[in-house]
Amino acid sequence: MNPRTRHALELVLDNLVWFMLVFVLVVFSLLIPNYFQLGIFANIIEASSVLGVMSIGLALVIIAGHMDLSVESVAALSAMAVGILFCSSGIGLGVQLHPEWLMVPVSLLLAVLVGGIIGAFNGLLIVRVKMSAFIITLASYIWVRGLVLVVSGGRSAQDLAPAIRWFGIQRLAGLPLTAWIAIACYVIFSLIMAKTPFGRHLVMIGGNETATFRAGIRVNRNLIIAFVLAGAIAGLAGWLLAIRTSGATANLGVGLLFNAFAAVVIGGVSLKGGVGTLPGVYAGVLLLSAINTAINLMGLPANFTQVIHGLLVLAAVLLDAFKQTIRQRLA
Amino acid sequence: MSEPLLVLDNIAKNYGAIQALRGISFSIGRGEVVALLGDNGAGKSTLVKIIAGGLEPTSGRMLFEGKEFLAKSPAEAKAAGIETVYQDLSLCTNVDVVANFFMGREITRKVLGVPVLDERAMEAVVAKALANAGTRIPSLRTKVEHLSGGQRQAIELNRFVHWGGKLVLLDEPFAALGVEQTRRGLDMIRQVASQGIGVVIITHIMQQAFQVADRIVVIRQGVVAGDVARNKTSPDAVINMITGETLAGAGPAG
Repeated sequence: MNPRTRHALELVLDNLVWFMLVFVLVVFSLLIPNYFQLGIFANIIEASSVLGVMSIGLALVIIAGHMDLSVESVAALSAMAVGILFCSSGIGLGVQLHPEWLMVPVSLLLAVLVGGIIGAFNGLLIVRVKMSAFIITLASYIWVRGLVLVVSGGRSAQDLAPAIRWFGIQRLAGLPLTAWIAIACYVIFSLIMAKTPFGRHLVMIGGNETATFRAGIRVNRNLIIAFVLAGAIAGLAGWLLAIRTSGATANLGVGLLFNAFAAVVIGGVSLKGGVGTLPGVYAGVLLLSAINTAINLMGLPANFTQVIHGLLVLAAVLLDAFKQTIRQRLA
Repeated sequence: MSEPLLVLDNIAKNYGAIQALRGISFSIGRGEVVALLGDNGAGKSTLVKIIAGGLEPTSGRMLFEGKEFLAKSPAEAKAAGIETVYQDLSLCTNVDVVANFFMGREITRKVLGVPVLDERAMEAVVAKALANAGTRIPSLRTKVEHLSGGQRQAIELNRFVHWGGKLVLLDEPFAALGVEQTRRGLDMIRQVASQGIGVVIITHIMQQAFQVADRIVVIRQGVVAGDVARNKTSPDAVINMITGETLAGAGPAG
């Protein structure tokens, strides 16, 4: 095989999820009436912003060879914190700040801070006490959701302050600002992962933690930062969720974790660590969203979504194994 | 002889009730190649890990360039100028050759105050280093998982030659190499030593030790069983030290 075909084949393998996304969009556009519209495509992107942002944090820690099951609950807690402070009905306190726009940075900072603190808690336990990330973050998944129930008393907050809601309503080039925030997050974190020493070190830690430690990379510090980032990004997802629903309920975002896992795996991130890129994850998120939209348009019962997502994850894992075999042939 | 580069003074390491090292003392000079020999479980790798900052000794002290020295992490040892090549390869197979070569020491340039990897500069350095050593790897952007065992070990060897430092520790560095590559590896060691860098090489193969070392240190059951200049001993005498039949030729520590 000459180097050029090999190169081309590698390129296809590395970006397989994008080809799948295009394929699925073309098929749906041909087969489903009314699917091929700009509005539908905008909707696919819009509907995937919360999941998309959450998947970034999850992908970071998985690429570094760990795991964070708490992102869904963290997002809910951040959303609830924002809801309680800045909603005017239900359990909302209706806090007003002047000028009004001040509520935007304050609520955003609050959401990110809440997430970051829980991420730091997870990271410190995992790195310093050397416990399994699976167990620690499973515990956080449970207790943080419990905390949401405790602070809300099981009730909800509605009518988020208009100044914050503005991000969900104001559109730029057909997309609400919340979707642009998700896209910006992907651009920023993709650059961090691909172009900075920190990103490079995370990938290498996921590949061979012992080797990176021996090479003098501060593994513990990098891992804690990764968990703080995962928490903070989940907090940002929670902020977007609060805007999207104009408030917060106690069971907000339930089930998002599994969609995030699906997106990350479909996007080509290996659960063993060290493999995967963020643009791939975004394609995975869009793929899930495209399929959801198709199901809605076809008028299928929404329950089908879950079956299809499950099968898609299976397909992604099988595909990953298949890619490995092809790669070994190439080598 | 001038002041030694590294002095080990009565280094001991216990794992619970088990004494892996029971008081090791010897020294390494600048530009000197010391072969560390001993049977399996004699404590060679433990000793290397202590010098390299991967383990802390239970007792004893080290002097590095005349100053009290104890690396609490590989990063500290590296900062002091101690490079280590481990028995089980220390490469990240999921990234390319260049990334492995620069692991933890990436060349960066600032873009808006943010450090950004300077891939082109790094690739140029790696290409030059590998060419100097006569190592051929098809593409520096190949992930290491696609390379052969020999190519991988060559990357590690070239890595220490390039970074050098003041002291190099090699733990069975030629385990995966063929005859020709091993010969080249031994040449690299001499070349490194001629720059005034101290080298400690652990090996099982007597012939390699006699080919490359200035001095041979034998460890048996956690103590130094022999410390002799290469040209004042023979393979048979060294084997006797390793197996413990005699202590003939055992010199004083330090």
